[in-house]
Amino acid sequence: MSLASWVNSRYEEVGPVKWLAFALELVAAVVLFLLMAITCVDVAGRYLFSNSLDGATELTEIGLAIMLFAAMPIVTWRGGHVVVDIFDRVIGGRMVKALALFAALVISSSMYFLGVRIFELAERSLRRGVVTEYLGIPTGYIVEYIAVMSWFTALGMISYGIYRIFANTAK
Amino acid sequence: MSVVLIGFAVLLFLIIIVRMPIAFGMGLVGFFGFAALQGLELGNLTDFRWNGVLSMASYRVIDTVQEYSLSVIPLFILMGNLVTRSGLSHELYHVSNAFLGHRKGGLSMATVVACGGFSAICGSSLATSATMAKVAMPPMRKYGYSDALATASIAAGGTLGILIPPSVILVIYGLLTETSIRELFAAGFLPGLLGILLYLAAVRYVVMRNPSHGPAGEKMSWPERIQALKGVWGVLLLFTVVMGGIYMGIFTPTEAAGIGAGGAFLIALARRSLTLAGLFDTLTDTVRTSAMLFAVLIGALIFSDFINRAGLPDALLNFVTGLDVSPIVVILAILGIYIVLGMVFESLSMMLLTVPVFYPLVQSLGFDLVWFGIVVVVVTEISLITPPVGMNVFVLSAVLRDVKTGTIFKGVTPFWCADIVRLALIVFAVPISLFLPELLYR
Amino acid sequence: ETVLRVGTWLPPTNPQNETVWPTWAKWVEEATEGRVRVEVEEGLGHPKTLFQLVEDGVINASFSYHGYVPGRFELPQAVEQPGLGVSAEAASVALWRTYEKYFEQADEFAGLKVIGMFTHGPGYIHSKEPITSWDQIKGKKIRIGGGVQSALGERMGITPVAAPAPKVYEMLQQGVIDGVFMPMGEQKALRLSEVAPNVTMIPGGMYLGSFSIFIDPYFLEELDPKDRDAILSVSGEKLSQMAGKAWDGIDAAGYKVAQENGVNLIELKESDPMSQEFFSMIKGMKQEWVESVADRGVDAQEAIDYLWKNARDYENAK
Ligand code: NA
Ligand code: NA
Repeated sequence: MSLASWVNSRYEEVGPVKWLAFALELVAAVVLFLLMAITCVDVAGRYLFSNSLDGATELTEIGLAIMLFAAMPIVTWRGGHVVVDIFDRVIGGRMVKALALFAALVISSSMYFLGVRIFELAERSLRRGVVTEYLGIPTGYIVEYIAVMSWFTALGMISYGIYRIFANTAK
Repeated sequence: MSVVLIGFAVLLFLIIIVRMPIAFGMGLVGFFGFAALQGLELGNLTDFRWNGVLSMASYRVIDTVQEYSLSVIPLFILMGNLVTRSGLSHELYHVSNAFLGHRKGGLSMATVVACGGFSAICGSSLATSATMAKVAMPPMRKYGYSDALATASIAAGGTLGILIPPSVILVIYGLLTETSIRELFAAGFLPGLLGILLYLAAVRYVVMRNPSHGPAGEKMSWPERIQALKGVWGVLLLFTVVMGGIYMGIFTPTEAAGIGAGGAFLIALARRSLTLAGLFDTLTDTVRTSAMLFAVLIGALIFSDFINRAGLPDALLNFVTGLDVSPIVVILAILGIYIVLGMVFESLSMMLLTVPVFYPLVQSLGFDLVWFGIVVVVVTEISLITPPVGMNVFVLSAVLRDVKTGTIFKGVTPFWCADIVRLALIVFAVPISLFLPELLYR
Repeated sequence: ETVLRVGTWLPPTNPQNETVWPTWAKWVEEATEGRVRVEVEEGLGHPKTLFQLVEDGVINASFSYHGYVPGRFELPQAVEQPGLGVSAEAASVALWRTYEKYFEQADEFAGLKVIGMFTHGPGYIHSKEPITSWDQIKGKKIRIGGGVQSALGERMGITPVAAPAPKVYEMLQQGVIDGVFMPMGEQKALRLSEVAPNVTMIPGGMYLGSFSIFIDPYFLEELDPKDRDAILSVSGEKLSQMAGKAWDGIDAAGYKVAQENGVNLIELKESDPMSQEFFSMIKGMKQEWVESVADRGVDAQEAIDYLWKNARDYENAK
């Protein structure tokens, strides 16, 4: 199977969004695999060579952030977040659609404004030269990434997320 | 105080009626509640100093997604997913079925014990539920167990481990209250076992009332049982390495998650059950589940910032101190408060908010702080499965996308009742917790 | 009446929460004749975030540990360098004076008004097995808190393990680590006496850890000038000295707990070979600090000499 047809079969998204979802998930998957590998190398190093991987902890922390925020837009636009559905049957279909639309607008605007503040905080941290303990990586870059992905989540939700609400209920 | 009540009401409305995702519901109510306490009103929407509240929420996001100790969540989920992908979980349950399948609810009981053991060692309820959801759920379904009983056994079983030592929560309690940690560890042991026994009784109760929840299978002969055992050495080895490694101090519980995932990866490779596409599916599935869970954690933290700033803990203390009743009734009032708080809090933040406030009072009433620690940990365990915000239940519904939270909450009810029974036993029969510490250290 | 909201962390029984904040709160209330009331709040997240929460006005004042924000607060680390060998009280007073005279102009605390600086007591080696020579610690898995401790660990040839303080108890109990660098007070506060029954005490300790106490400048600006002056009059050196003394207090309590629980306290003398080897091991670390802050526009050599002289003079005069 070619990569294109495999991506086509695997992703529910339409058009170029499919490839975007694939790219984001590829980043997240590779980082998760590395997180696993880093821990194993670190522990093995501690026993075999009496020397652990310098900065394994901070690499894990950075990796965790990259992984989670690579996945955040997809999880959000697919409506994948955990919902409490105790009273599900009480509410009718049209109402569900209206409420979902409301929730989507609230989610995207909150992610947008939060992203703005996170970006400002990232710049502040870069200005002040804050770095990680062992590897000296400027932490502001990771925070900037989080901000950008928050905007991306907002954008995905307000476009594809809303498209999906209508497409799904039309079926 | 009224702002807290309004906050709770709006939260319930958002998550239950509007069906807003729990993460965003808690985050929004926490955010605007906090803003209101900072002086936000309808009149000053434009010239309000938004930056403070936004920073608070932003740092919850930034710090939580870079929190080293939370890396156990994706890595244990990955381990569970890999174990399932390689077919090991089916074989594991084939064995359980060979030995216990002829009893009604036998697999459920095996799950409770397995969850208890796993969470006791790894120390994280969320990680246990996430791991076991993947390992235990498909086989139980295959043997005809109802979703309600199957998921509930995992969600409830996963709560057991915070009490059974080693336990991070007991260490934190010990540091907050200057109580001996080794006495707390010793004290947690019997109540932890009691929890397992009562959960087994709960399973028994469920299948007695309605056998279709956990149907009994054919009884297998011993040769068949031995035959079944042969398939599972791999997964047994993996769990032994993970749990033994932590117990013997070869690696930390946080590192164990990575080692466990790495081991599961090697086993899957060795069994040739992993294609590149399969690996990709497993990894992305894990990532998506983790992203949902982290979102809920962040929302819960922003919400608890609001409750903290509103002064709820102090208000509760004043309420309890104002009661003119006997000491044991004060304790019961505190427990009642905890159970109510358990509706919306996840375990650790509940403990951090309330213990520093309550423990001096409990001490002054003449109660033993080691005993109180066990009581507090048991009520925080209960909060993990108390609706509408029960983290363990959310973990299951995040991992198993086709099971509704409502189904799990319904299934969890008998286990929740078993927990209340246990709480009562621990409160009124003090030796259950204090017998071992007195024997060992006093 | 104005509420001054103080954000804090660490357990309620820590000297910061048991002594420093309540004492300062009383001072502030007296100095402002009750017009400003101090309220303490916990559970605000990671301590490194407290610097930001004060700057953004979520809380009005707080304290935090410089080592949590690598790269930003380099100058106060002058006090942490090994070999100073004084109590927390002396180090705190000297650090405050040096901050006012040299460090403040470098603007590391942009967005904050620093109202006090202090250190915890001298750090020692707490271990499962007794350590009486440097060969015995080589290759051992030791939990370190970063910064100066990492540099020390490197020179000792240990295998460093990073972990937050509340996890130390479990890690020692299970044997994930063989020991930890910490001040004596942790024998009591972290209950190390239960899991690390040996303490190797280099005379004067191995290192110090530095903290600052800071307030939101906008909060001060909005106060009545006489209240602002009143608050500042009970801060600065007075607050730093009080905080250092309180942190010395928990070391004394930790020492007592260790003794009562039969912890093996290996108290080395200056003349012991292990101490002598330590002093030659740390040669050059002061110089390394001077070079590391070359970009801060401060006469670092003069500053650290001033700091060490003040600290030792204060200690001798005590
Ligand atoms: Na445990
Ligand atoms: Na709950």
